[in-house]
Amino acid sequence: MLKPPENGGYMTAAYVAAAAIYLGYALRLWARAARALHD
Amino acid sequence: MSDSLAAARTVIRRGRWIAAVGLAGLAGVYVLALQYTPMEASQGLAQKIFYLHVPAAWTALLVFSIVGIVSALYLWLHDPRLDLFAEASAEVGVAFSAIMLTTGPIWAKPIWGTWWQWDPRLTLTLFLFFLYVGYLALRSAVYDPAERARFSAVVAIMGLILVPFVHLSVYLFRTIHPMPIVLKPSAPSLPGVMLRTLLVSFAVCLVLYAGLVTMRYGIGLVQHAREGAIDNA
Amino acid sequence: MSAHSSRAITRSPVRNTLRLAGVIAAKDLRAEFRSRTALVSALVFAALVLVVFNFARDPTAVSATDLAPSALWVTFAFGAIVALNRAFSMEREHAALDGLLLAPVPREALYLGKLLANLAFVGIVEAVTLPLFILFFDVDLRHALPGLVIVAVLASIGFVAVGTLFSAMAVRTRFAELMLPVLLLPFMVPPLIGAASLTARLLADRPLNEMFGLLRLLALYDLVFVILGTLLFPSVVDE
Repeated sequence: MLKPPENGGYMTAAYVAAAAIYLGYALRLWARAARALHD
Repeated sequence: MSDSLAAARTVIRRGRWIAAVGLAGLAGVYVLALQYTPMEASQGLAQKIFYLHVPAAWTALLVFSIVGIVSALYLWLHDPRLDLFAEASAEVGVAFSAIMLTTGPIWAKPIWGTWWQWDPRLTLTLFLFFLYVGYLALRSAVYDPAERARFSAVVAIMGLILVPFVHLSVYLFRTIHPMPIVLKPSAPSLPGVMLRTLLVSFAVCLVLYAGLVTMRYGIGLVQHAREGAIDNA
Repeated sequence: MSAHSSRAITRSPVRNTLRLAGVIAAKDLRAEFRSRTALVSALVFAALVLVVFNFARDPTAVSATDLAPSALWVTFAFGAIVALNRAFSMEREHAALDGLLLAPVPREALYLGKLLANLAFVGIVEAVTLPLFILFFDVDLRHALPGLVIVAVLASIGFVAVGTLFSAMAVRTRFAELMLPVLLLPFMVPPLIGAASLTARLLADRPLNEMFGLLRLLALYDLVFVILGTLLFPSVVDE
């Protein structure tokens, strides 16, 4: 049985980067929405 | 005028709900992909990036098409809400495009042995990003709202027509100059369990898009209503 | 009312449009020749690019023929952008476009006229750059020249079709001279891929039948974007 390549680090990096972008944008939008709702 | 302001605020609230569902779904996808989907033995854990990258790319392309089509409708019908929706879609689309462009090379390096390849699909992802950025840059550089709407609509339509040409030209180039791939990706057919995770991820991307675009559209509507009120005051 | 004007009314609208386009193109070109700075700046840029490419390579490792297509098309591409930028910024300085728009000129004629003028200008830049290129790279182009001219014309039409439309927009924005390249560069890539690839094959004396796919691509691109530009130009210049 071949051993699978040790590339879990890439996976972590990608999943963290994606989460950062998704959450970053969503939170920014949320803040703008709050301003638009309560001004 | 306060009527349209109230309506705009309702749109934002609705968007927030959908976006919240989308974000919860995203968390679910993370768990599904990381915990409950088997690892691909020949490619290792890095293969799992696939479940984030591909749905984001499909969504980015879909959203760009939406921007183009809605822009064409705007040029035809002159309804400013169409322009506001195109703007909202472009902003959300650039976020998906950023995900696509970030996860792509991180995936390519362990799987293909190189950070980047000028093949039709990857080249297209880069172009999509440039087109989105160009669209948003143009919008920020035009003062008059009507002019801004018209100009960005033209760019969006042109961009949409460009997409197949980029794909075609790189494809033609590649069939003439086949490029060596350092590590070949493994079997193209996708086992059922992995396909399921991929499709769930795509569905979540769509929900997230729907929620975020609704929020952003609502914000645009609020601004529009306020500007209208100021003009009429 | 002379016989001339009554004849003009009975001409077909398409021929009228084309005739007007020619008139506008001629006017533009005459204006450009009175101010030669744009042509000179494009030439200086071309010379700069050629010099850098030549000094950056190791002549024993990389033959001129291998590097030639890239160097040539980088030069042509940036020359086209410089030409397009100058053409419209001159317009802006003289507010000539506003005058033209007030007259009942069909917008399609305006677009085609500007396209022809820009194409001629880009063509002049390319025609003057090519001898520089032959000089610096010492490449024998005689057998490839007719093919090269065809490729250059096709690719330039593609650049100019989109560039004319976009410069009409860019000239009305902040950072106009930055906005044109930012918008235009993605659109220059398919013609560039085709043109650079075809140039490489022409210089390598490859058989013609290998080139038809790319030639068709260039021609299709031109057709689609000239039509699209004609359709969209009125939305750019009219309220």
